Amino acid sequence: MKFAAFADRAGEIEAEASDLAIVDHVTSLLADANDDLEVVARFVQGRVFPAWDSTTLDVGPRTCYEAIARAAGRNVSADDVEERLAEVGEIGAVAASYDFGGQRGLGAFTEGGGGEDLSVREVYETLVDLAEADGSGSQDRKVDLLFGLFNRCSSEEARYLARLVLSEMRIGVGEGAVRDAVAAAFDVPEDRVERALQVSNDYGRVAAVAREEGLEGLDAMDLELGRPVKAMLAQAGTVTDALEEWDETAVEWKYDGARVQLHHDPDGETRVFSRNMEDVTDALPEVVEFADGRLEDPVILDGEVVAIDDAGDPLPFQEVLRRFRRKHDVAKAREDVTVRPVFFDCLHVAGEDLLEAPLTDRHARLESLLADGEGLSTLWLTDDPDEIEAIDADALEGGHEGIMLKNPDSAYSPGRRGKNWLKRKPDVETLDCVVTGAEWGEGRRATYLGTFELSVRDGETFETVGKVATGITDETLADLTELLEPHVLTQDGQEVDLEPAVVFEVGYEEIQASPTYSAGYALRFPRFLGVRHDKEPADADTLERVRSLYEG
Amino acid sequence: MFKAIVSAETLSSALDSVSVLVDECKIHLEEEGLAIRAVDPANVGMVDLSLDAAAFESYEADGGLIGVDLSRLEDIAGMAESGQLIQLELDEETRKLQIQIDGLEYTLALIDPDSIRQEPDIPDLDLPAEVVLEGKDVNRSVKAADMVSDHIALGVDDAEEYFYVDAEGDTDDVHLELTEADLISLQVGPAHSLFSLDYLKDMNKAIPSDTEVTLELGEEFPIKMHFGFAEGQGQVTYMLAPRIQSD
Repeated sequence: MKFAAFADRAGEIEAEASDLAIVDHVTSLLADANDDLEVVARFVQGRVFPAWDSTTLDVGPRTCYEAIARAAGRNVSADDVEERLAEVGEIGAVAASYDFGGQRGLGAFTEGGGGEDLSVREVYETLVDLAEADGSGSQDRKVDLLFGLFNRCSSEEARYLARLVLSEMRIGVGEGAVRDAVAAAFDVPEDRVERALQVSNDYGRVAAVAREEGLEGLDAMDLELGRPVKAMLAQAGTVTDALEEWDETAVEWKYDGARVQLHHDPDGETRVFSRNMEDVTDALPEVVEFADGRLEDPVILDGEVVAIDDAGDPLPFQEVLRRFRRKHDVAKAREDVTVRPVFFDCLHVAGEDLLEAPLTDRHARLESLLADGEGLSTLWLTDDPDEIEAIDADALEGGHEGIMLKNPDSAYSPGRRGKNWLKRKPDVETLDCVVTGAEWGEGRRATYLGTFELSVRDGETFETVGKVATGITDETLADLTELLEPHVLTQDGQEVDLEPAVVFEVGYEEIQASPTYSAGYALRFPRFLGVRHDKEPADADTLERVRSLYEG
Repeated sequence: MFKAIVSAETLSSALDSVSVLVDECKIHLEEEGLAIRAVDPANVGMVDLSLDAAAFESYEADGGLIGVDLSRLEDIAGMAESGQLIQLELDEETRKLQIQIDGLEYTLALIDPDSIRQEPDIPDLDLPAEVVLEGKDVNRSVKAADMVSDHIALGVDDAEEYFYVDAEGDTDDVHLELTEADLISLQVGPAHSLFSLDYLKDMNKAIPSDTEVTLELGEEFPIKMHFGFAEGQGQVTYMLAPRIQSD
């Protein structure tokens, strides 16, 4: 396909407002793409390389301006291009505003004479060369290569070449449009195209397979080691949601780390990809070492890397990011911040794709791979809210972010933010409650007060609304005990009555009507957030506020 | 097989005159010497180089082809002091180039020649005008034009019999005339073509100022620039396509 033909279609698509009409245009573009189908399916989305491929053109705006300036004719400088961009606001329009082709090629003077129109294939191959250029002088070489392309462009070709090069295609073609167009152009069902896209992350490949091999070919597309797939995502949710939706809930700790996908082939390469499918292998040697040392089968695992301090306790997310972005001096960075992987899902083992398998099966496979539990994120199955609370408390105490709630029967759907994975929603509202009672702990917590009874004001009296026992570290319990012990009124076994003196800020999922507490309401999943040292019991929240929150 | 000993200057001159256009090239290891032909990615500038076996202290080759990363090889040659000899030997087994400079040994990985841009067809041009001048005059012309413009017009006035250089900037212009007295020789003919200084500046870098340079010119035709190095045992021909002058 000639690049001019592609540019014409891109122009038509850009002028189109209706999604359906765009899909029609893309459909006919793909149908006419012939040998260039794979490239065209990516170009139309403004991509040069497949999504799984970490290769980038590494062309800065300045490099592009210089190439345009050089092709634009006499005494046009990169600054002139930049000035025009400031006026026009968009690089495609700037490129289209110049008259290219002033520089002739030597081909025009050889026998048989060159002068061929630019093809999609040539543009693609030149951009591959461009991506490969590195080292000293590579920016000059990139300018040379781009100049060579622009020099052969008409206005319309230049418009879309400039946008393609700077990843600013923006003609309104999203992933969904290409998916639907592949389905329409090659007469295959959209959901099967979608599945093939999920496993391959390669619109070009999927389009070509759909055309050459049809549905059978699409269905035979599998995960491939070394090609990352999009990560399955979670949405915010509550324990209440989970318990209502599913018979049992799978609960995991939510690690304060960065998402990684490990592709490990014991006889080949080990690669680590970020959530954006960027290759971060070199930045994270610990993950590679972990895989080389422990995994004997070819696998694709989903997990998090967390930064840990010398004692093995987790460090904040920012510390992981510092490692993630690291390109040089990885060994030095590693001395400063150590990371370790924790895996919670298994997408592929030894030739077998597990995307369709239920979470519990996938996790069972993961457990058998990581038999000694090192690097394994534990999964609990439960329908008991108290157990969920306890898991949450342990997670928080361990310095982690909280918990994930997952549907135990759900498949792994790459790139989807569905309701099968919930990250426990942070509290929307908080209440300032007076502590009117407590219990002495057990075991190692025997000397601490815990399980605090919470009350709200009702005129001059206090009415209970719940108890908070979770989300509090030992260190905090010690502080709270010191703070509360002087206010003990009476003691009966482990139970303690407290003089209303201390105010807690408490988070909760929702308020329920309940006969259990004297207020007639109960806080569901209350969590201790902190002591309001600035507040007296007289400033605490009232029963009236609880009632109005309940009534919404 | 390929085994050769060459002075650092000669090797560097050869490499530099190619590296101004391309980063990688194929080197033909012919019995009678080395040959390199390369064109820049935009197919605008071309170099055709030969270095005779006589330019080497010793030379043995039987017609092989290797691909090299020019900047890497230039860096290695740069390790030699002036007057030092560089020994090159191709290891056929490993496809690596063994390079020795006194005690320094460098094993250079070669590039698959098939992965390097195809060598250009050389346009067969019969250009009417020929100007022979000193390298320093080419140098001066390019420098003067570069002060005002990014393009340079080269031409021959066949009535008045002189070679001229024109450069038009947004505000300033440059004009330079060299008559037969200023030149080594002049064969007049209708010639006027416009060239990009981006290319000409790079090519000029490789032209020694004390060398004799032959320019062949036509009307809106490529320019051919020919010069020798290594005491005439090396030859370089540059060819550069013109810009259209209509604007």
